Amino acid sequence: MLSRKKWLLLPLILLMVALVVPMQGHTRSAKAQDTFKVAVVMPSASNDLAFSQSMIDALTAIDEEMGDGFEFVFQENTFVVDDAAIALREWAASGEYSLIIAHGSQYGAILEELAPEFPDVSFAWGTDVDTFGYDNVYAYEAGSDQGGFVNGVLAALLTNSNVIGVVGPIEVGDAKLYVDGFKAGVAWVNPEIAVNVNYIQSFSDVALASEAAQAHIANGADVMTGSAQMVVGAVGVAKETGNVLWFGQQSNQTELAPEIVVANQVYHWEVVLKEIIAQVQAGTLGGTSYKLTLENGGLVIEYNEAYALSAFDKFVADAVIQGIIDGTITYTLE
Amino acid sequence: MITDILKASVAASAIRLATPYIFASLGETFGQRSGVLNLGVDGIMLLGAFAAYYAVFETGNLLLGVLAALIVGMLLGLAMAFISVTLQAEQGISGIGLYLFGLGLSELLFQKTVVTPTPIDGFPRVNLPILTDLPVLGEIFFHHNLLVYVAFALVPISAFVLNRTTFGLQIRAVGQNPEAADAMGISVARVRYMTVTLGGGFAGLAGASLSIALLNIFQSNLTSGQGFIAVALVYFGAWRPYWVMGGALLFSTVNALQLQVKTIENALGINVPSEFAVMAPYVVTIITLIFASKRVEQPTALTKPFERGES
Amino acid sequence: MPENLLPTGHRRIEQMRMQGIVKKFPGVLAVDHVDFDVKAGEIHALLGENGAGKSTLMKILYGLYHPEEGHIYLNDQSVVIRSPNHAIQHGIGMIHQHFMLVPSLTVAENVALGLKSSRGLILDLEVVSKRIRELSEIYGLQVNPNSPIWQLAVGEQQRVEILRALYRGAALLILDEPTAVLTPQEVDDLFRILNQMTADGHALIFISHKLHEVLAISHRITVLRDGKRVYSIPAESATKEMLAQMMVGRPVVLRYDLPPIEPGPALLRLEGVCATSDRGDEGLKNVSLNVHAGEIVGVAGVSGNGQRELAQVIAGMRSITAGKIWLNNDDVTSHSPAAMNQHGLSHIPEARMTDGVIKNFTVAENFVLQNHGRKPYAWGGLFMNFRSITRQCKTAIKDYEIKTPSHETPIKSLSGGNIQKLVLARELSRQPRVLIAAQPTRGVDIGASEYIHHRLLEERTKGTAILLISEDLDEILALSDRIVVMYEGAIVGAVKRDAADVRTLGLMMAGSKVTV
Ligand SMILES: Nc1ncnc2c1ncn2[C@@H]1O[C@H](COP(=O)(O)OP(=O)(O)OP(=O)(O)O)[C@@H](O)[C@H]1O
Ligand SMILES: [Mg+2]
Repeated sequence: MLSRKKWLLLPLILLMVALVVPMQGHTRSAKAQDTFKVAVVMPSASNDLAFSQSMIDALTAIDEEMGDGFEFVFQENTFVVDDAAIALREWAASGEYSLIIAHGSQYGAILEELAPEFPDVSFAWGTDVDTFGYDNVYAYEAGSDQGGFVNGVLAALLTNSNVIGVVGPIEVGDAKLYVDGFKAGVAWVNPEIAVNVNYIQSFSDVALASEAAQAHIANGADVMTGSAQMVVGAVGVAKETGNVLWFGQQSNQTELAPEIVVANQVYHWEVVLKEIIAQVQAGTLGGTSYKLTLENGGLVIEYNEAYALSAFDKFVADAVIQGIIDGTITYTLE
Repeated sequence: MITDILKASVAASAIRLATPYIFASLGETFGQRSGVLNLGVDGIMLLGAFAAYYAVFETGNLLLGVLAALIVGMLLGLAMAFISVTLQAEQGISGIGLYLFGLGLSELLFQKTVVTPTPIDGFPRVNLPILTDLPVLGEIFFHHNLLVYVAFALVPISAFVLNRTTFGLQIRAVGQNPEAADAMGISVARVRYMTVTLGGGFAGLAGASLSIALLNIFQSNLTSGQGFIAVALVYFGAWRPYWVMGGALLFSTVNALQLQVKTIENALGINVPSEFAVMAPYVVTIITLIFASKRVEQPTALTKPFERGES
Repeated sequence: MPENLLPTGHRRIEQMRMQGIVKKFPGVLAVDHVDFDVKAGEIHALLGENGAGKSTLMKILYGLYHPEEGHIYLNDQSVVIRSPNHAIQHGIGMIHQHFMLVPSLTVAENVALGLKSSRGLILDLEVVSKRIRELSEIYGLQVNPNSPIWQLAVGEQQRVEILRALYRGAALLILDEPTAVLTPQEVDDLFRILNQMTADGHALIFISHKLHEVLAISHRITVLRDGKRVYSIPAESATKEMLAQMMVGRPVVLRYDLPPIEPGPALLRLEGVCATSDRGDEGLKNVSLNVHAGEIVGVAGVSGNGQRELAQVIAGMRSITAGKIWLNNDDVTSHSPAAMNQHGLSHIPEARMTDGVIKNFTVAENFVLQNHGRKPYAWGGLFMNFRSITRQCKTAIKDYEIKTPSHETPIKSLSGGNIQKLVLARELSRQPRVLIAAQPTRGVDIGASEYIHHRLLEERTKGTAILLISEDLDEILALSDRIVVMYEGAIVGAVKRDAADVRTLGLMMAGSKVTV
């Protein structure tokens, strides 16, 4: 009997090892005195070519710029909110970090609880606008509709079938903003074009995303876009079909399918992060909410050099970007 | 015309979506029929998917990819067999442990090797003379990649093995009444080792069907819980290969229809909230489960470790 | 046919000898230097109280257990039997106390299980079925090879077990309490088969607690007590009384007096109860029945005629399709088993291994299974009072002579009869108003049967209403104030104790309407 119980430990150990492996903390940069230390939790993999990666890319960019004066740690794949809460609390209690970032709107409730408990620690979270009225919380969001609009304009110019497919995750947050902006952009060029939007209700189901893309193609779509990390499945389908174009969102997805990606809206959180860091260094721990825009350079349309975009189309796109920045082009979202 | 395309595309979609479920559920059927519940299928699928992907990423050899997935899957199945048969650990918990292990390790290996999701050239769609060019039917049945056909071919093979071979008889006996099987000179442990290892191999293939045949990419948590659905489908199919396939197809068809809901709405002029559409596969599955099941094949010794009275 | 071959074509075992066999389990010396032998053409009976070590000795012979000491000789050659497979190869077959059949499989599949197929990996069920028919022919064992086991009556299942052993070439067949679950007719049938087998040169070992059976069928009798062989004699020179005394170590009473009791109010009432059986047909047809305080009502009948369903509907374990049930004048129709318990019902289920105990729980845990939340076993309905549980359980173990190393032993390692005694002890310790006892002494040795019968009679004196369901007519006749007979789900007759005799009861059990 006793030996049986002892054996039971084995799967338990296995379980613990397994728990530790995916949520392993990572540290990038060497230690130095007086460095600005940042800690961040994110819901998906740091290399998801989407939401989480956009934050890692930003932090890496800042790291390269600030060198020894900057250091960051992150915990990825923290889709279980309770796990995130544990990490955030630990970081806050350690007093080691100048800024703690909760990268995901699902973490809001945790921050609301943690922030008053650790008034000397500065927190940031997104994407959202709510600082809960605390002066040690920053909020950040992306005006994803802007790049969505630009992508939509280009898509409308490039479609021959006048059918465009969109693969979305769940109809909330920056995915919804992006899709709505995209639709507005298409309609701005030609309201006759059909934009079929398919929210598959999952951020992770690659197989379903791929079938959604198949469905769009079967329905005649020759241009597609999508948001969130499961779209790699959709890009794969577009690529295999050969004559279907793709617009990227959140990160630069060109490397997934260099033949068919036209342009990407890329998030540059470093624009906002740099501001926040400057504020914290100056002694202000929070209270402001930031937004990435084309104007402040937080949103950038990155073209795929390998795709032969006609000079005219590129000209129109650039003009639209400028128009949004200086306010000459306005649009309403659904 | 539009409805024809729709039907064809939904059916073809359903067949593709069902493929990983069929692999995984058939494998799980073997294990459960012999009395072992392996909840770690999703973890095995993930490592199988990665193994296949990495092999193809490095060598470009698709068969090597399939072999890698099969071997990795069988090794993990062997581990599960060791834990549940030899150590007699609680099967539910060890299965979850195996899942988390697969989830974590596949992610870790991916980050240490390939780093970013990079598309590979997977199994191409076959083009059969005449058949593929058939209107509608060609699109539905004869324009898939090889692994899709392998999955469907395994259904009658599995049914045959379970119902018509001496090994299948041993599996059924061990799952229903291990004491009786033992008294008839059958090694309960040996049979369970074989089925769980085989089930692991099938789960590995399920992963491969995603990473090198249907999606041709790897990403962390690529399966997003499909292994758990596969386990549920075994119950749904009342432990019978053909029913399990039916369940997988039903679930996938409703899923595929759900993707076409906008088109259907436009055609019919109605509006379905997308949440309902998404719930539909689960709801339909559960309802069918309630009405359709005749559970005579239920392995009564499921999850129960076997130990001869002698201590 | 050559001298040393059986009609099945297999070689005879002229003699099997076990010498100085010792087997220990944690806390028990189950078999203690036992010598035992059997010859071709002979039935050697093994007798002993529950837990005496009979099954253990036989499991050693069948390769399921391995002895610490001792040797086994087949035809004077020393053999080591490592596994059941090995035993089968040596021509030894065993029919276990608990049947070893897979219910969802057919007869042919159960027989084919573990055998080499003539077609390699692929099953050859037609070949197996054909051979089963041949064997059925030789021994007059009627079974349909294509029926699933769960559809067969107990007696038929046993025939499958015997057929399976013969199919495997058993020259020596061990039958561990084969009659415990059979009806008298089925027992006759079995004995006919056994006699034919010995005539053909098989060697048989027969275990039973029913002394008249042992005397009727066997050639030699060996008695075990506490793991030791205490006696071996030819059957001709044995009598019931002497066997009983050898087993138990004291004289045993085999017939009781029922002191007359003025029956009280009807504590259990059934009116027009109908229910569906497992097979989906009418299991109970319009059953009406009263049991009064201080009265034992015996339910006689051939098994499978609704007795199981009757016990289950009263215990709340089976839903009824029509009719009403009252306990203590409270309408308890369609109540749960727990609610029935609260109304003062105790139930000794027929399928004790599945319905009565939880195999992996300890003796003590099983003892408090239903009452664990109540005084004296718990405080405030929440915390188990282990001290009290232990004390009560130890008392029960002593009173009922339950053979177990301790109250913390898992119940699955107790012998069949001792599990039965524990269930009985538990149910009676709850001071029931109404008691359903289904086959209370099936598989129980005579010493313990006597004790159980005394306990039932004591309950009767205390004013408990008792429904005694039994296939053992002797038991029914010995204990019941009134007897009802069930046939095909209906009550076909009722007789007073004095008016009852075996012949009329037998006729009613066979379905003929008799009015007394
Ligand atoms: N697997 C086991 N583990 C521990 N103890 C055991 C095991 N099997 C039997 N025993 C113990 O060995 C003793 C002999 O048991 P056995 O089953 O041989 O009795 P039996 O003579 O067949 O009794 P019954 O008439 O009740 O069937 C009992 O005390 C029993 O509790
Ligand atoms: Mg026994």
